[in-house]
Amino acid sequence: MVVEVDRDKCIYCGACVGVCPKMAIVLEENIIKIDATKCVECMICAKACPMNAIKKKEK
Amino acid sequence: MNYDYDVIVVGAGPGGAFAAKEAAAQGAKVLLVDRRKEIGAPVRCGEGLGAGIEEELGFKVPREAIDAYINAAELYGPNGKKLELRNETSRGYVIDRKKFDKFLVEEAARAGAEVLVKTRIDDLKKEGSKFVGVIGNSMGEKFEANAKVIIAADGGESLIARKAGINSLATLAETDFGIEYEMVGVDVKDAIEIYFSNYFAPRGYAWVFPKGKDSANVGVGVGGLYGNAIVYLKRFLEAYKERFENAKTVAIKGGIITVTMYIDELVKQNLMVIGEAAHQVDPIHGGGMALAMKAGSIAGRVAGIYATQNKDLSYLQEYKKEWDKKEKKTFESRLKLRQVLEKMSDEDLNTIFNALNDEDLQKVVDGRYDVVVKKLIKIIVDRPSLIKLISVLLK
Repeated sequence: MVVEVDRDKCIYCGACVGVCPKMAIVLEENIIKIDATKCVECMICAKACPMNAIKKKEK
Repeated sequence: MNYDYDVIVVGAGPGGAFAAKEAAAQGAKVLLVDRRKEIGAPVRCGEGLGAGIEEELGFKVPREAIDAYINAAELYGPNGKKLELRNETSRGYVIDRKKFDKFLVEEAARAGAEVLVKTRIDDLKKEGSKFVGVIGNSMGEKFEANAKVIIAADGGESLIARKAGINSLATLAETDFGIEYEMVGVDVKDAIEIYFSNYFAPRGYAWVFPKGKDSANVGVGVGGLYGNAIVYLKRFLEAYKERFENAKTVAIKGGIITVTMYIDELVKQNLMVIGEAAHQVDPIHGGGMALAMKAGSIAGRVAGIYATQNKDLSYLQEYKKEWDKKEKKTFESRLKLRQVLEKMSDEDLNTIFNALNDEDLQKVVDGRYDVVVKKLIKIIVDRPSLIKLISVLLK
C-alpha cells in the first residue's frame, strides 16, 4: 500500500505537512510529495486534509 | 552574496515579516526567506484582522490591501438567533492577504532586510547544540546560509521547529482544519458573520467575511477529529442555500489552525519560533495574524539586539519572557473557555443565545462575566449542562 495525494483535488494548503508525525510530506510550489520511505501509513494526513484528497492505494 | 547573517527568518507571512523588520531596525543583518515564488500566495486564511493591532504595533494597513471595512461582528446560534457586537473593538478589515503580506515584506526590506523567495529550507546546520545556519534550496540551487539567530516562522507545517527537536506537533484533537470558498454574488454587510452549529461546524464555526460589495470569504473551521472540512462547508452552504443561490466560487483556500496552548519552548538555544509554527493562534476564534505579528515584533527586536550588542545567549529568552507576560494569562483563560464551549450541544448553544442580548455579549468580549453569569444561573434549572460554562466564567 502507498499513500497518495490526488493532485486534482489538492489545494496545496499544507495541512497534511503540519500533522504528519514523521515529517514525510514536503510541500513545494504546486508539488506535494509523500516520502514512502518515511510514511508509516497512519493516515492522519488523510483525516486532516480539508479537501479529502489523500487516499491509501494499492501499489 | 555573503551568506553570513545576524538573523535568518524562515517564512515570510505576517509574523516572519514583522520579525525581519524589527531585527533589521536594530541594525542587524537580516535574511527573510520564503519557499513560495510569490509572497502571500496561496492564501490560507479568512483574512479578517481587527483594527486594534495597528495601534498596538504602530503600523497602518495600507488602503490597497483592504478589501472591506468591518464595523461589527454578528454571531448566529444554531437556531438562527443573532447577537451583534458593534463598537470600536469590533472595527477591523477583511484584507487581501497577497497584498498585505507583500506590503509587510516590503516594509522589512525597506528596514534593511534581504529577501529571498522560492527558497525552501530543509534542515538546520548544527554545531554541537547550537544551530549555526540553514540548508535548503533556492531557485533550484543548493542553498546554505549561516546566522547568529534563526527565527522559525514557517506556519502550520512547523518543520524548522521540529527539525530543531522542539515538540510542536499538534494532535488532530488540538487542531482545526479550515476550508473556504471566495464567492461572488453574495449579499454582504459591514460585518463579519459567525455561525455556530454542531451539524456544519463541529467544534468550530462557519463564517462569512465580506471581500467586496457582493463577494465574501465563506468558510468553515472544524475540529480535527470530525473529518474533512469540505463536507462541512457543503453542509453550511446547503443550510443557507437561499443566501448562496447565485453565488459563484472564484477561489478555494484551506489550511491548518492549531487551537491549543502555544508551545512551551519558544526559544531553544539560538532558535526562536513564532506564529502558527509556535501555535500562537487565538484558541477561540482561530485568528493567527495578529498574534503572529505581535510575536514576530518581540522576537525580531530581541534577536536584533542580541546579534548587534554582543549579548549572552540567555538574552534570547527575553522573547519568551515578554510574550508570556503579555499573552499567557489571556491565552490560558481563552483556551479554557473554548474547551467548555466546544463540548456544548446545539441545544446548549441555543439556550445561551436566547438568554443573552448584544450588551451581554459585549461584556463577555470585554472579560466582564458577572452579568452573564447571573443570567445563565437563572436558566440553569432547565439546562444543567451549562454549569461547566458558568464555573469557567466564574474563574
